[in-house]
Amino acid sequence: MFTRVLSIFSRKPKEQSDESYYTAGQLSLIKDRFKSKTSGVIAGWILALLVTVSFFAPFFSPVDPTINGADSEYRRGAPQWIHMSDENGFSLRPFVYTYSKEKAKIDFKALSGAGGLAALDALTSGDALTSSSQNKYIIDKDKRRYLQFFVKGWEYSLIDLSVGSLNLDIRWDRHLVGVDNGELHIMGTDEDGKDVFSRSIHAIWITLSIAVVALIVKLFFSLLVGGVSGYFGGRVDAILMSFTEAVRVIPPIPIYLACAVALAEIDLTPVQRYFAIAVVIGALDFAALGRRLRTHILTERNQDYILAAQLCGSSTWRIIWQHLVPSFGSYIIVDTLINFPYVILAETSLSFLGLGLTEPVNSLGVLLQKAQDPDIQQNMIWQFFPVALFVALIMAFVFVGDALRDAADPYAEKS
Amino acid sequence: MKVEYQNRTLVFMRIIRAKTSFEDHIVIADFIADTWLLWILVSVGGFLFWRGQSSQYFGYVFNRYLLALMTLLIVSGIVFSLMEVLPGDCAEKYIAYKSTQGETITQADIAAERARMGLDQPLVVRWGQWVTNLTLRGDLGFSCAKRQSVNLALGDRFWMSFWFCIAALVFSYVIAVPFGILSAFTINKDWTDKNPQNTKAERIINSIGLSLQKFIDLQLRIISYLGLALPNFLLALTIILLYVFAGEPAPTGLFSNEFRDVPWFGEDGFDFAKLNDFLGHIWLPIFVIGWSATALQLQTVRALVVDETNKLYVDAARARGVRGAALWAGYPVRHSISPLFNSVGFDFQRVFNDLPIVAIVIGLTDGAALLIEALALTNDQELAAAILFLVALVVISMNFITDIVLAAIDPRVRTSVMGG
Amino acid sequence: MSNTANPNLLDINNLTIDFRTDEGLVHAVRDVSLNVRPGEIMGLVGESGSGKSVTAKTIMRLNPNNAIIQHPSQISLQHESKQINVLKLRNRDLNIVRGNAVSMIFQEPMASFAPAIRISDQIIQTMQIHLGISKKEARKRGIELFDRVGIVQPEKRFDQYVFELSGGMRQRAMIAMALSTQPKLLIADEPTTALDVTIQAQVLELMLELREQYGMAMLFITHDLGVISKIADRVTVMQKGQVVEAGEADKVLFEPQHAYTKRLLDALPHLDQLPEPPTAKPETLVEIDKLSVSYKIAGSGMRSDTFTAVKEISLSLPKGQIIGLVGESGSGKTSLGKAILGAAPISSGQVSYFDDKQTLSFGHNKKLQRLELAKIAQLVFQDPYSSLNPRMTVRDIIAEPLEAMKLTSSRAETDQRIIEVAEKCHIDVTHLRRFPHAFSGGQRQRISIARALICNPKFIVADESVAALDVSIQAEILGLLKSLRDELGLTILFISHDLSVIANLCDWVCVMRYGELIEQGSVRKIFLEPEKEYTQQLIASIPVLTPKETAVSEE
Repeated sequence: MFTRVLSIFSRKPKEQSDESYYTAGQLSLIKDRFKSKTSGVIAGWILALLVTVSFFAPFFSPVDPTINGADSEYRRGAPQWIHMSDENGFSLRPFVYTYSKEKAKIDFKALSGAGGLAALDALTSGDALTSSSQNKYIIDKDKRRYLQFFVKGWEYSLIDLSVGSLNLDIRWDRHLVGVDNGELHIMGTDEDGKDVFSRSIHAIWITLSIAVVALIVKLFFSLLVGGVSGYFGGRVDAILMSFTEAVRVIPPIPIYLACAVALAEIDLTPVQRYFAIAVVIGALDFAALGRRLRTHILTERNQDYILAAQLCGSSTWRIIWQHLVPSFGSYIIVDTLINFPYVILAETSLSFLGLGLTEPVNSLGVLLQKAQDPDIQQNMIWQFFPVALFVALIMAFVFVGDALRDAADPYAEKS
Repeated sequence: MKVEYQNRTLVFMRIIRAKTSFEDHIVIADFIADTWLLWILVSVGGFLFWRGQSSQYFGYVFNRYLLALMTLLIVSGIVFSLMEVLPGDCAEKYIAYKSTQGETITQADIAAERARMGLDQPLVVRWGQWVTNLTLRGDLGFSCAKRQSVNLALGDRFWMSFWFCIAALVFSYVIAVPFGILSAFTINKDWTDKNPQNTKAERIINSIGLSLQKFIDLQLRIISYLGLALPNFLLALTIILLYVFAGEPAPTGLFSNEFRDVPWFGEDGFDFAKLNDFLGHIWLPIFVIGWSATALQLQTVRALVVDETNKLYVDAARARGVRGAALWAGYPVRHSISPLFNSVGFDFQRVFNDLPIVAIVIGLTDGAALLIEALALTNDQELAAAILFLVALVVISMNFITDIVLAAIDPRVRTSVMGG
Repeated sequence: MSNTANPNLLDINNLTIDFRTDEGLVHAVRDVSLNVRPGEIMGLVGESGSGKSVTAKTIMRLNPNNAIIQHPSQISLQHESKQINVLKLRNRDLNIVRGNAVSMIFQEPMASFAPAIRISDQIIQTMQIHLGISKKEARKRGIELFDRVGIVQPEKRFDQYVFELSGGMRQRAMIAMALSTQPKLLIADEPTTALDVTIQAQVLELMLELREQYGMAMLFITHDLGVISKIADRVTVMQKGQVVEAGEADKVLFEPQHAYTKRLLDALPHLDQLPEPPTAKPETLVEIDKLSVSYKIAGSGMRSDTFTAVKEISLSLPKGQIIGLVGESGSGKTSLGKAILGAAPISSGQVSYFDDKQTLSFGHNKKLQRLELAKIAQLVFQDPYSSLNPRMTVRDIIAEPLEAMKLTSSRAETDQRIIEVAEKCHIDVTHLRRFPHAFSGGQRQRISIARALICNPKFIVADESVAALDVSIQAEILGLLKSLRDELGLTILFISHDLSVIANLCDWVCVMRYGELIEQGSVRKIFLEPEKEYTQQLIASIPVLTPKETAVSEE
């Protein structure tokens, strides 16, 4: 597979005798090829941006996304536009206006209470009120709230590396932006007054980390099945492959569902539940990659350089670690990237059905689930912001995966 | 289940005891009716084995047939044991049903019921019974939640899902194949023509053509990947929402209210208005799941065609004067059809995978919706297992068919599976 | 020579082609001029990267997208008494150079037929495009052609798929396809390189006959001057994209002017300069005793058959010599080589090594001690690309035996050994940090040899080790092997299908066919006085330099 990529390179006579090219390993060669795919590079930058922002989500979010940070003064509030100038003059420092609630004509208590959705449904279906009047706030253009950077806010842990006895938790309380007075809601708020923007960027990280855990679990099982099958061959291979074949024909989402229902029976904390779901998604997804790894090992095992290593007196373990594992290292990375969207979609599907993560956890699935609420569809269109982020994230992954596939060509040998 | 099992042993015993020819007839008819599927399976296998003795091809088909049956057995094992994780069992449900009728229930009653239904037996025994019933006469078991046989509860609904998936598959192929080929066509091209042999005007014209191709390719890729990136439930919701905004009734379900109970063949012959209404509803699920299936399909087609295009025989054909559409369709595309065709089974599985959630959103009442209901709402293990098993059955049959068809028509496959 | 306006069928003038690559513009062909007269065979000689295939493809306008044909390149072809500017052809007119007046035979007949389309359909399609005849007529002519090119059972073969034919048969079918449109110019791109020697001789014979019969011109591309001397009227020699020498075949071959041509000629076997057999027979290093090698092949269904590649061969390899093992494809020579190293399944017999200190033997029912063997015997592979792990640096590749067997005590010592071996194999020490992709085939083969030598083995099996290399690089590697034998007293088993290489390198030759040892003897004996009929046939088909009879008579 990679020899093909390589041969493309080596066939051409080099004009510049750049030592860095000659000493470039596999990955940097793939990187070079990747760089020539414009759409892949653009998608890569978008992806990197999304990942960085979500990893440092507390820093980038102006408001605490949990219920602690909910703005009770600004529930169901529309996005606040950031201005540089208005009829009162121009300002170098961007600002937003002060919003204040109109005197309530209807009983909002029912909305904020437990039966909020039912009450809302009743409200929206009734004629008593036009849809826009529910979240009408008076804009006071004379009271500007200036944007401030690196503002002090609630304390969070920037990087938490506390593992066991090691206590390495870097805590900070600075945030990228904020306003001098009150809270900034770039993308509006939801029915509890939680900031949509902050929730969304936190959600990306949660979803990504579920996908990462799921993919690691998947990798483990795939390697186990594919490695054992490919290396031992014969009867072990036959049994494992017929089992894999059987797993492969059953549609996975119903299986996830069954497992999620079973998990729902067990009393789990949100964190445990979160990991349980990731493990379920990962563990049941070994069939495709496992099969491919097996084929890969089978072909790679017959390569001359493996025979060369054997003739050099290398032990089986040395051959596995020195030759076979590196040979599919980059391959696995590419495959994992290509599979990211599918795992994320699995998570959102489960959450959508209420069987994955649930409120108050911020995952993209949870936020997307809200999109099916007719109230949000009609009155709080800004709550579709996570959908946009989601689409951007998946598209970025797909395009990066596409370009990487062309650059590294992991599917050159079809099973 | 236990009762049925006993019934069947009775049938066997009756056969042994049967004396008169009249009784014989009835007993044999009963026996055939109770074991019809087994006979079909065995006779197909026997036929293939017989032909396989003299023909290498049928030997291969026989091997595949055995393999497919074995895979099905493993699938049934996986599905059956997986359903054990769903909470509750038949006895509990039956007792729960009784308690709603006003009877008071004790733990002992549940245990007794369990024993009566044979639920106290180990998993392997129950699985064995299930498989036996299935292979003998296609009996998928008894749904306790619905309190009727699974075959009856499913009825035509599974077929409905089946046709949905097929339609969505066709939709995705219709889009993915031509666009995938186009994408493969443009993959190694530049945005501009830099050939110094062409005059400046020619270069500009060529560059415009090339840029247009590349641009269309990029657009198509974005659109097809959007199908993947927009979760299909959201897509369905968005479309419904658009209808709501437009003030028109959303095409949920299969029929509008006024047509739901109208028979297909009314007094004036075939009811075209109903067909029209049906088509007006049916496109939504097909479109939604078809679109999301397109992205992967497009990637596959593109990779396959690019792979073939780089082979020497394409150059050789070009050197013989084969050009344009004849070259593309006759050489790289023709040679990438086989692997594409080979993946139809798994494509079906992937499409079905998406169907349940869409069915819930759109308000369909097909097999997929039933599956979600059985899994998430009623914990109906038997029904869920049956549906999953049927999907696997379809996928395995498709794989079986594509394998044997390819071995029959594609000489490359033929040599690789039969050694020349 | 008649002095008409333009006697040439094909005229290439100042052809310059660049390739746009990730590393910038690469000059593939520089200012090449070449012409072919009607009915003549023009030999185009050069090694890989010399631009000869690019030139040929340009005539048919088959260059990849990234090729730029620079000004003032010109290719003109005489077609139906008109001069056609090939580089300006567009769309339908391209068919003139694609199949109509010009057709091409490729090096790999297997890869140049579409695998899933019957050969008949491909040939009929070609004829229909260019001749506009009915399908039935095309079919009739196709079968006639198959008969003409010497395919037995032409009706049956005509409707088969390409993989159902044998190698020689495929090339014949390819020739039939190229001739089906009765072109005026046939471009043959290394048409015999992938074939065995005896079949190569038959195909060359056939091509000469066809030239007589159809009166077409040929542009015959090859790297093998022996082949050229048999077939070509005139020769053009290319190196690095430029023409270095051109002229009448006999003139170029017997009075070469350019150093490069001389070098190419040196690579041919010189049957008059074969070494004298050593007077005293040295002691034996490896003793092969009734060795058989069988592979299991998965049959259809439950049956599994065995295929015996090597049948009860006994052989003793003398110390300090280079022993050539010759055979055509499928003769079992590679299996024998691998079995000697314990890398092939031995079904009977045994192999014994007689080292100074110890005797090591293994075989059927006798387990081999891999670590002991690895210190004595090593392998140099055929393919310099797949035998080096692309993910390891050259240093790590060469160090592998030392590290795997823990032969050195420190990294410094390992590096010391690596540098010694690298210098012995003429590898630039500063290149040790590089990855294999940075090297050409010849350099890779040096790395492979260095890896084999690092643990000071007594015995090396070189399995077709120069087959993938260009002639001039072959000569370098062969020289290296010879000097290693002299310096280190190595014993080398050199496996090859190429008799000219064997003749230039080996002391002792063994000939194999269908898994059996046909004949063995000193180089002189095998090449000059072969006993067995098969050996005679093999020797006779070596393309050695022969002056053209016609040319001789003219002088």
